[in-house]
Amino acid sequence: MELTRYILRRMVLSAFVVLGVTFLVFIVAQVVPSDPAALYAGPRPTAEQIEKARQELNLDAPLIQRFAGFAKAMGTGDFGVSYKSRRLIAEDLRAYLPATLELAVFSTGLALLIGIPLGVLAAARQGKWPDRLGSFGSIAAVAMPTFFLAMILQLVFAQWLGILPLSGRLSREISVTAPLSMMTGFNLIDALLAGRLDAFGDALKHLILPALTLASYPAGVAMRLTRSAMIEILERRHVTAARALGLSEPRILFGHALPNAMGPALTVIGLSFAYALTGAVLVEIIFAWPGLGRYVSEAILAKDFPVIAAVTMVVTICYVVMNLLIDIAQALVDPRVALS
Amino acid sequence: MNRRHFLQTAALAALASATSSRWNLAMAEGSGSIFTLAYPTSFPDLDPATSFSNDGAVLANVYEGLTRYIPATETAEAKIEPLLATSWDVSEDGKTWTFHLRDGVKFHDGSPLTSEAVKGSIERTKKIGGGAAFIWGSVTSIETPDPLTVVFALSDPQPIDLIASAGFAAWIYAPSSHDKDNAWFNGGNDAGTGPFHISRYEPGQRAVLDRAEDYWGKVPEGGFQTVSFEIIEDTTLAQNMIESGQADWTYSIPFENLEAMKANPDLRVVVNPSFETLFGLYNVKRAPLDKVKVRQALSLAFPYDDVISAGTMGLGTRAKGVVPAGIWGHDAEAPIPQTDLKAAAALLAEEGVEPGLELVMTYSTTQALSAVAGELWKANLETLGIKLTLQPMAWEAQWQLGKSNPEAAQDIFVMFWWPTFVTPYDYLVSLFHSEEKPNFNLGYYSNAEVDAKIDEAAKLSGTDRPRAEKLFIEAQRKVIEDAAAVFMVDRPNVHIIRSDIKGYDDNPAYGHVTFVNELSR
Repeated sequence: MELTRYILRRMVLSAFVVLGVTFLVFIVAQVVPSDPAALYAGPRPTAEQIEKARQELNLDAPLIQRFAGFAKAMGTGDFGVSYKSRRLIAEDLRAYLPATLELAVFSTGLALLIGIPLGVLAAARQGKWPDRLGSFGSIAAVAMPTFFLAMILQLVFAQWLGILPLSGRLSREISVTAPLSMMTGFNLIDALLAGRLDAFGDALKHLILPALTLASYPAGVAMRLTRSAMIEILERRHVTAARALGLSEPRILFGHALPNAMGPALTVIGLSFAYALTGAVLVEIIFAWPGLGRYVSEAILAKDFPVIAAVTMVVTICYVVMNLLIDIAQALVDPRVALS
Repeated sequence: MNRRHFLQTAALAALASATSSRWNLAMAEGSGSIFTLAYPTSFPDLDPATSFSNDGAVLANVYEGLTRYIPATETAEAKIEPLLATSWDVSEDGKTWTFHLRDGVKFHDGSPLTSEAVKGSIERTKKIGGGAAFIWGSVTSIETPDPLTVVFALSDPQPIDLIASAGFAAWIYAPSSHDKDNAWFNGGNDAGTGPFHISRYEPGQRAVLDRAEDYWGKVPEGGFQTVSFEIIEDTTLAQNMIESGQADWTYSIPFENLEAMKANPDLRVVVNPSFETLFGLYNVKRAPLDKVKVRQALSLAFPYDDVISAGTMGLGTRAKGVVPAGIWGHDAEAPIPQTDLKAAAALLAEEGVEPGLELVMTYSTTQALSAVAGELWKANLETLGIKLTLQPMAWEAQWQLGKSNPEAAQDIFVMFWWPTFVTPYDYLVSLFHSEEKPNFNLGYYSNAEVDAKIDEAAKLSGTDRPRAEKLFIEAQRKVIEDAAAVFMVDRPNVHIIRSDIKGYDDNPAYGHVTFVNELSR
């Protein structure tokens, strides 16, 4: 009961966040100098074509009326058409969003898989070489620019060792000659649904390098947070008691200490996910990953506001939902977090 | 799992992964009938009526127009080749054009090419009115006296044979698609007559074309069955792909990387002049640029050769006035200025321009070549006591400023120009014909004599091309004499292809388009 009320309250708050973002996006679109009609009319428009576009887009209507139209479009998920390509934005999102979500989910998982065990290890060997190495590694992971890391990974794994593909979501052999039929848009899931193990392996191999690039920063943060939380918990009495009982070190670390240190690590999921959604622009371009980042970067360069607004909205919603889930998970995992 | 078990598993996994990548390589070597293009931009609009961007590269392999433009070479004059039309003629007044269609051509949906289909296509394109639909502006009606004859009636004389060869808005598509909307085409459907049809379109990722059955044209031996346009924005990645054989064709590799690629025996670097000229339009409405001699002095101070060597690694060519080489109406003997700082100083002194003059040059942020040209020019002008401020802007903002009040706008507007269809008229009317409200004449040049020549030449373009050409050249000479603009450089078209590809020929009339049907491995 308490949980339901908590979720409801959070959802109402989230709605305000989304409305606020809608308003901001709309205002920014008005302030930035650009002429949507000229963009809509194409690269070489005549004055008449621009005027026609202005009428079609209803750009001369009062501001309030236009905001109402805009908010309605955003609210109903009918994002309208791109000024630049005149394509339906909802159609485009259907194509681009799954690629980004797949990358975001996978890189978040990877960040936790790398960051948490290393954090545990560093805490267990506090002050010794695994800790020092871990600290150095985590600082390097956080400090290294993504584009640089991406290029290093490409150089080592794709060009020198040749064991992972350079770019894209699928190899040409799969995507051109024996394509996967799109069901969910998540290649890994689609491949499993179609029973295509070759495509599954191929999609997985393509995911590793971009996901690793995106995971490096949150993995570094996860490692630092887990380490400090673990150090604090390892000094607690129940851990001493477990040691006195003669439990094995791994069991103490992972069975008794880590669950108590999971709070900060969970926070990292939210951070990592948001980072993957927004930080994917460069990574998607370097790895030719057909996701939202590439879509919106083109739109930003062209000042294609309906597209920018739609992507902002989708990212906001993904982020708000993710945060909500994490807060609930935290409350479930850690009884000290109150729902009221 | 103990440590030994773990190590064994890891080793096996590595082995399996290595084996599978060998297998992938073997597959790639066997896929000889796929032609892969690493394309640096996406294809935003696949609707043949409104496409007005790089999507033309895909559409040109799927759709065909009535004619095709073949540019001039050193040995041959430019010509218009029959495509879906086999022949055409024009009335004496240049206002009625009759096209005879090729018999036996089928659209990809199996329906035959008819005059009704041509009429319907152009009417849909005109009705939507997006993209380059304005090229049909003078067409008042289209008649279809018989299934293989189309008659265009025009409001004023226009070269419809040239217009029909355009790489945008001139495609002919099947009647079954005339009531379809933009979303239908952008869902990966097509309705062309071309050698390939669209099998799949994955936005932001790729377009895959397969050979169309019953194509009317010739297919070379060893021609490709499948074409894959891979959208690769990162130039390093595109370079990697072509070097490793994952792609067969690419462009937009930085000029400085080309030397290494030329040395690679697996690759062929094809350098051609493009139809893109970099212009700096002088604002003739603002002092002191309203004086011809001051403009001439600025043009004399422009470092033409340095821009070619530093900006294009020596691959660009000197712009000879308004119309680039390869287009009819190009003036090979144009009296273009050479860099001469002394002569420039003398002209400035003659007009009483004191040191300390400040000028603003705007250009689009995406144009690296404009930035190089600006920097080099700035250095030369400094020696003459002129301070040139370079103002990079987003194209929309640059254009907006240019279209606003000329008195308050930039001093020099730098941009590339390329023709929508291949005619000198496109350059001259857009950039130098008087405009009541500025649209692309962003130097605000206005000269009644030039206007009259351009208008007269336009009228004769369809009926008396030699006379039209002469008038266009006269108009250009006047523009050069008045120093309405500085003609900075003709941009080179640089394409990189794998050296085992046969039959490749770049046609600058269709920017960065590869006609894959003509190729084989």
